Amino acid sequence: MDTEGVQEVAGLLKDLPAERGQLLPALWRVVEHYHALTPALIGAVSEVLGVAYAEVYGVASFYTLFDNIEGTTPVHICTDVMCALQGAEELKAWAEQAAAGLPITVKESACLGQCDHAPAAWIGQKILRRATPQVVQEAVKAVHHG
Amino acid sequence: MGEIRRLLPPHEVRSDPQSAERMRERGFDQALATIWAMNPETVIEWVTASGIKGRGGAAFPTGIKWTSVRQAPGEIKYVVMNADESELGTFKDRVLLEQDPLGALTGLLIAAYAVGARKAFCYIRGEYREVEQALANALETLRQGDWLRGVDVEIRRGAGAYIAGEETALFNSIEGKRPEPRVKPPFPTVKGLWSSPTLIQNVETLANVAVLFAHDVSWFTQYGTPKTPGTKLVALSGHIRRAGVYEVPFGVPLADIVSDPDLGGQVAGSGRLGAVLLGGAAGTFLTPEEVMNHHLDYESLQALGASIGSGAMMFFDDTVDLGWVVARLARFFAEESCGQCVPCRIGTRRLLEIVEAKQWESRVHDVRALAQAMRDASICGLGQTAPLALLSFIERPQLRPHA
Ligand SMILES: Cc1cc2nc3c(=O)[nH]c(=O)nc-3n(C[C@H](O)[C@H](O)[C@H](O)COP(=O)(O)O)c2cc1C
Ligand code: SF4
Ligand code: FES
Repeated sequence: MDTEGVQEVAGLLKDLPAERGQLLPALWRVVEHYHALTPALIGAVSEVLGVAYAEVYGVASFYTLFDNIEGTTPVHICTDVMCALQGAEELKAWAEQAAAGLPITVKESACLGQCDHAPAAWIGQKILRRATPQVVQEAVKAVHHG
Repeated sequence: MGEIRRLLPPHEVRSDPQSAERMRERGFDQALATIWAMNPETVIEWVTASGIKGRGGAAFPTGIKWTSVRQAPGEIKYVVMNADESELGTFKDRVLLEQDPLGALTGLLIAAYAVGARKAFCYIRGEYREVEQALANALETLRQGDWLRGVDVEIRRGAGAYIAGEETALFNSIEGKRPEPRVKPPFPTVKGLWSSPTLIQNVETLANVAVLFAHDVSWFTQYGTPKTPGTKLVALSGHIRRAGVYEVPFGVPLADIVSDPDLGGQVAGSGRLGAVLLGGAAGTFLTPEEVMNHHLDYESLQALGASIGSGAMMFFDDTVDLGWVVARLARFFAEESCGQCVPCRIGTRRLLEIVEAKQWESRVHDVRALAQAMRDASICGLGQTAPLALLSFIERPQLRPHA
């Protein structure tokens, strides 16, 4: 990443103390801003926090919520046991249909902790409870426009 | 007996859950005033006398943990609220934090005072963004109301790793390392965050502490059993009419939870119960007869090789293929194993293969041997308990359709 890019990341992280313990909050900020963690961004975080590239990479790659495809927004459909009982697979198919051709990745999620309102989805920072195909499709499109 | 609401706010409590008015309406302001007037040792004596056990799954006596952290040598100590809640079928901490975030936070402040910590963390799973906001608002209320008394409370957001809920993995996560469990001992009470003595408790445990000090020990022990006083949140899901979180006293018959009109309100789906998976992904399958004849307490369930775990109760009607459920659980553990120890890394894979091939009957000896090796030689609870649900399924032939 060029100096300018590193400067931009530094700006994003400027109120965080430059220490190892801030790595997770720092990665969250970067992911929320750029919607991805490219090698260049990992390099910038490494430089700003003073933590080795391999270490930052090792941490970032452990977490599924940081595992986004560059240039796409993830939407999460819970396909775990309790949601599967309530038609989660079908819901996922509807989400994929709505996402077709858009820069959106439909991801299967393990239990989202919403089993009392199954099936559940997590789209654009919002939890959708008792999600219907229609609600999911609308939410997917809203993510694209938002 | 139906529902009791002590940890969950009673229905007549109407104030904004994140407000200073709620602090007063729930008596949490009084709870803090009470402990500030005590010395820390007395606070710990109350917790010990109340008989509170950890609600995150392991049911370890809370007072013992507080004593250890208080007595552990070290200038700096930490307290942590574990709100990672990523176990299948478990959503009680979410509901508790939605309805009464100030309770668990008050419990955290009491814990900090008792063990002598100036720094506290709330670690919350990354998918609970709305709950995280509620927690942040509640924290702001505490700050403005001058209830923090110098304790620095920081909210940390997880990022999608089930294993990060394990206490030592969680410390690594906060420290900016890979969330892999550490070998115990040393235990967190002696060497936790940044090698300092650390008290980590589940959200519901801390909520229990808050209501204890809003009242007193004799009030607290009015419900429950002599060995396990108090109430427990149970999370009902699947084929049950009134899925949701309910608060019940320890010792309540499981049958009441299923059919009381204020609790589960009867089996849904086909209307005929096939099985209950109690305790989470590493829980135990119970047959309908076992459910009808046992109580929600550790002793009663121990006879079945079961435990309350996090309080998850997942209901399956008699049309569900439990072999499919077992396969889904096996896949979960294989994916979530952090891979540090061989018995868990390899064992979860082998179990998945066996289950996907539906060879649980022909390879029952392999399953038992694997389970034994995993229990004995895994570093953390994930590997140690991953085979439990499968074992309970194998031990109950009546749960398998005989074609
Ligand atoms: C794989 C794994 C995941 C866990 N996840 C959680 C969790 O999400 N929340 C929690 O409170 N405890 C969880 N625990 C248990 C914690 O390690 C720890 O025992 C607990 O936070 C202690 O609090 P308590 O004594 O109040 O129950 C988990 C344990 C394991 C092995
Ligand atoms: S038991 Fe499994 S999850 Fe736990 S430390 Fe070992 S490999 Fe990791
Ligand atoms: S299984 Fe989907 S929210 Fe729990």
